[in-house]
Amino acid sequence: MKQRRLEAMHGYTYILPSLILIVCFSIIPIFMSAFFSFTEYNVMNPPKLVGMDNYEKILQDEYVREALINTLKYVVITVPIQTILALVFAAFIAVKMQNKAGEFLRSVMFIPVIASAVTSGTIWRTILGTDGGIVNNILGVFGIDAINWLGDSRTSLISICIVAIWKNVGYFLVIFYAGIMDVPKSLYEAARVDGANMFQQFFRITLPMLKPITSLVVTLGIIWSFQVFDLSYQMTGGGPGYSSVTIVMAIYNAAFKNYKMGYACALAMVLLVIVLLINALKQHVFGEKEG
Amino acid sequence: MENKKWSIVSVIGLLLTIVFAVTCIAPFVYMILMSFTQAQTLNLRFSDIDFSDLSNYSYVFGKSGFFGALKNSAIVVVCSCLFNCIISSMAAYGFEKKRFPGREAIYNMYVATMMIPGQVTMIPVFIIMKKLGLLNSYFSLIVLIINAFGVLLIRSFMAGVPDELLEAAKVDGCPEHKIFIKVVMPLIKPVLISLVVFTFVSSWNDFLWPLVSTTDSSMYTLTVALSLLKTQYTANYGLIMAGAAVSFVFPFILYVFLQKQFVEGIALSGVKG
Repeated sequence: MKQRRLEAMHGYTYILPSLILIVCFSIIPIFMSAFFSFTEYNVMNPPKLVGMDNYEKILQDEYVREALINTLKYVVITVPIQTILALVFAAFIAVKMQNKAGEFLRSVMFIPVIASAVTSGTIWRTILGTDGGIVNNILGVFGIDAINWLGDSRTSLISICIVAIWKNVGYFLVIFYAGIMDVPKSLYEAARVDGANMFQQFFRITLPMLKPITSLVVTLGIIWSFQVFDLSYQMTGGGPGYSSVTIVMAIYNAAFKNYKMGYACALAMVLLVIVLLINALKQHVFGEKEG
Repeated sequence: MENKKWSIVSVIGLLLTIVFAVTCIAPFVYMILMSFTQAQTLNLRFSDIDFSDLSNYSYVFGKSGFFGALKNSAIVVVCSCLFNCIISSMAAYGFEKKRFPGREAIYNMYVATMMIPGQVTMIPVFIIMKKLGLLNSYFSLIVLIINAFGVLLIRSFMAGVPDELLEAAKVDGCPEHKIFIKVVMPLIKPVLISLVVFTFVSSWNDFLWPLVSTTDSSMYTLTVALSLLKTQYTANYGLIMAGAAVSFVFPFILYVFLQKQFVEGIALSGVKG
């Protein structure tokens, strides 16, 4: 009995420092955020309860609507493309290049992952620039007029998507590659004996076996994409106009430019609900199919 | 016939893979080349490149406060890695090897916090830090890096540490804290290296929180300083690229030496769920 109590005491002691941090900086802030979302609060004066006002304002806020639409577009563009590219490259390297060269290519594709979004955004801003940026120079060779990638409201968001895809493929490729390596070799051997070609093997064996991993990659991709901020902040600052404003940028501006903490918290709660819904959806859609 | 068709497909696949790999690395090569020019336009002429001309780098460090930012980032990264490893492995040990009431309930709470986006808790944390007068402090920059992920990562690894070993040490009269330091810590070294790499990259590349929580320019981290560089020196591309190169080079060197741990540390962060 005494032994038991001692062990429990040790247990609590070991988790205590971590628990304090988690409670103070994750758990309590969630409830604070929820509470502030029903208040008007500028940090200087105490928060004032305003009921559902902030949420009603969100529905009428054009800036927020643009941010939501942009973020949705961003998700719809980046997630499928980065998932497919990562899967195809991973499968190709796994099938055809299980050697030093393949290893080298994988390591090279991972380099954009380790660079910060701010660094990547900085470099791509110059590459996409109008006064002699590389991309426009290359297009010029093919006789295509220079495009003001980041300065035109029709292309600003697309440009950010391209950079995001460029940055993410290497990451998901690593995950897919590990997944493909875990597929039993005997399945492929049996398929080859039966005369299945490379495509058939990919669609009949690799793809079904990778379903759990694909679900992870897609969910993660969607959740990350909803949180996009750094790239758009660094490359366009949300402009021109509202053309590349994202949800997190709307939260940032509300809280730290306009000091409307209550409104910003309401927006943050919207983001939280979106993320939780995606997680729940993942469990529902993919959880059931597997079980 | 079938074979021939395959080889064509393979060649196309190979070409695409190589093209993409080149696209992945070309921007960084461009960054380095550009940082050695005095270009005020983006047209990169090879005759402009002068590798002996370090003036962009010396200017970035000297005038634009990058040196201070580099120092801040270094302090934040080193402390985050150190504290994250100590605090998370202690917690992981407690959760995995000790029985206490509420253990699984608390652990499930940890798992649940992993689903919460940082941007949601950021505003209240900002307010807490402001009220405590801790904005513009290393503490506020470091403390947010430490989250449940490290605990989850180490706990799953610690399940492989045999209980008999800990029992044996106990029977030998080894005091509790020594079991943790002398027996457990050395055994979990591989996962600690992965966690260090992960923590290094996430704190080095962290942007939104340093942007929000540092208002004093002497507390800026590298990402914030780099982000400001583009507004301060709009068309001085050589200078901006030098700044980008400085922010990139440290994670890159680490990546070259610890490639395997990098891929594990960073890729595993996604496979936690």
